Amino acid sequence: MGVGFRAPHYGRVLEERPPMDWFEIISENFLVAGGRPLENLARLQDAYRVVPHGVSLAIGSVEPLDRDYLARLRALVDRLDPPWVSDHLCWGRVPGTHLHDLLPLPYTAEAVRLVVERVKRVQGVLERPFALENVSSYMTYRASAMSEPEFVAEVVERADCGLLLDCNNVYVSARNHGWGAEHYIDAMPADRVVQMHLAGHTDKGRYLLDTHAAPVPAEVWALYRRAIERCGAVSTLVEWDDEIPEWDVLAAEAERARVLRAEVLAR
Amino acid sequence: MTDRSNADLGSIQRTLAELLRRASPVRDDAAYATLAAEIASGNERLSAAEQVDVYREQYLLRHLDVLREDFLALEHVLGDQAFEALATTYLKAFPPRSFSLRDLGAELPRFVAETAPWSEDPLLADLARLEWAFVEAFDAPDASALDLATVAAVPEEAWPSVRLSLQPSVQRLELSYPVHESRLAVRSANGGVADPATVVTRPAPAPTHLVIYRGAARLQCVSLESDAYALLDELARGTPLGDACERVASASGASAASFEAKVGAWFQQWTALGWLSRVERD
Repeated sequence: MGVGFRAPHYGRVLEERPPMDWFEIISENFLVAGGRPLENLARLQDAYRVVPHGVSLAIGSVEPLDRDYLARLRALVDRLDPPWVSDHLCWGRVPGTHLHDLLPLPYTAEAVRLVVERVKRVQGVLERPFALENVSSYMTYRASAMSEPEFVAEVVERADCGLLLDCNNVYVSARNHGWGAEHYIDAMPADRVVQMHLAGHTDKGRYLLDTHAAPVPAEVWALYRRAIERCGAVSTLVEWDDEIPEWDVLAAEAERARVLRAEVLAR
Repeated sequence: MTDRSNADLGSIQRTLAELLRRASPVRDDAAYATLAAEIASGNERLSAAEQVDVYREQYLLRHLDVLREDFLALEHVLGDQAFEALATTYLKAFPPRSFSLRDLGAELPRFVAETAPWSEDPLLADLARLEWAFVEAFDAPDASALDLATVAAVPEEAWPSVRLSLQPSVQRLELSYPVHESRLAVRSANGGVADPATVVTRPAPAPTHLVIYRGAARLQCVSLESDAYALLDELARGTPLGDACERVASASGASAASFEAKVGAWFQQWTALGWLSRVERD
């Protein structure tokens, strides 16, 4: 069970080394030449296993993969020696601009082909198990020819990569588009799931926004229970990136996930 | 409306990226709303244009937040709305090109210095340069600090020809306003942030020479007298020590003896603060 390594907790975590199985870092925050970020990372790594989770790979962009980015990510991976590396099943770059968002793809055969080919190239550079995360979405494409669960399953199967199953993203997208969240979980290829994410979101009235600014809500806990029933003892991480609470609150959320997972697995 | 359900992925991404970078809502512009509807299908709660607007709003908010964080004192001096106008104009002129949001504000100091109306007040460019220097110092590469054994091994006659290199985190700024005082009023030395209602008094113009560097515990800003700054600047450009001292002493009009005494004190300070990294001999 892990949590994200975020600035408000640096002092507590690095000084006191509270119990936690592992930490996830946002890869891009540590793809720097040196200084404070890498000092903090070295101290974190002294005490915990650290897994990099990226937001800028843009695996689904038509724009060519950024070779400089991949080289830096490879260097980070070599430094961390993580069991896997992850990013998102999305696009976010166009010529000349990085949109810095996790934009959903249209669910088409063309998008599947593009992502599969690029995942293979990323795996070739990183030489590590690689996993893609399902993203929250707020729009639907006219071009889509399959459902999101079908698309996600087909990509990870054909790319032969792992799936980072984000239960909150499943819930947010399902609510926003009127899909069945439980059906989504049931349609995921269980043997591909290497990690799960839990987080909170914000109700904007006519849609849910994936803000990671709140505790994990009851509906997402229920999906997590279902996902564990289906996928077994999968590493899980609690994300909290905005309105970040005291460490103890975050650690308690991770503990709650641990207890729930143990209960499900004991049955 | 054109049916774009068969549009290729590249065309969909380019069109959406254009819509997301618009400053005003897609739903308020009939032509753009039509374009959005060619790509997005919408649902019973959100029209196609409204779906696209969710991402458009996030694009703007996300980048504004990063610029606010990096240029907090500039925002404080300008005020929230004026800063937002600056940031929005900047984002249009310099869309994010780097994979890292850390690089987003790299061109803002130059943009403020060169673009009206912000260029009309030189204090704003000074403040932007100062705040960006802190970003650069934060994650600049590490280099070993000058060790005393190396210094002791340099024969006296060799000193005029040595070149000294600075730690990469050492940022030098020659400014027209003591904006470090304004920054301190907004962001205290321990990184805390002042109440938004804090009034920052506009400083009087005064030649200001600053060094921002990464100290052991936090980023630091030190004000130098102009001769010391000039010497540090010469050294950073690779001028041999003897030539650098000569140039600065002659420009300042100081006597050789009094200048030499000052140089000794400056070197002690710079070494103690860890600014010097290497001594290179020809």
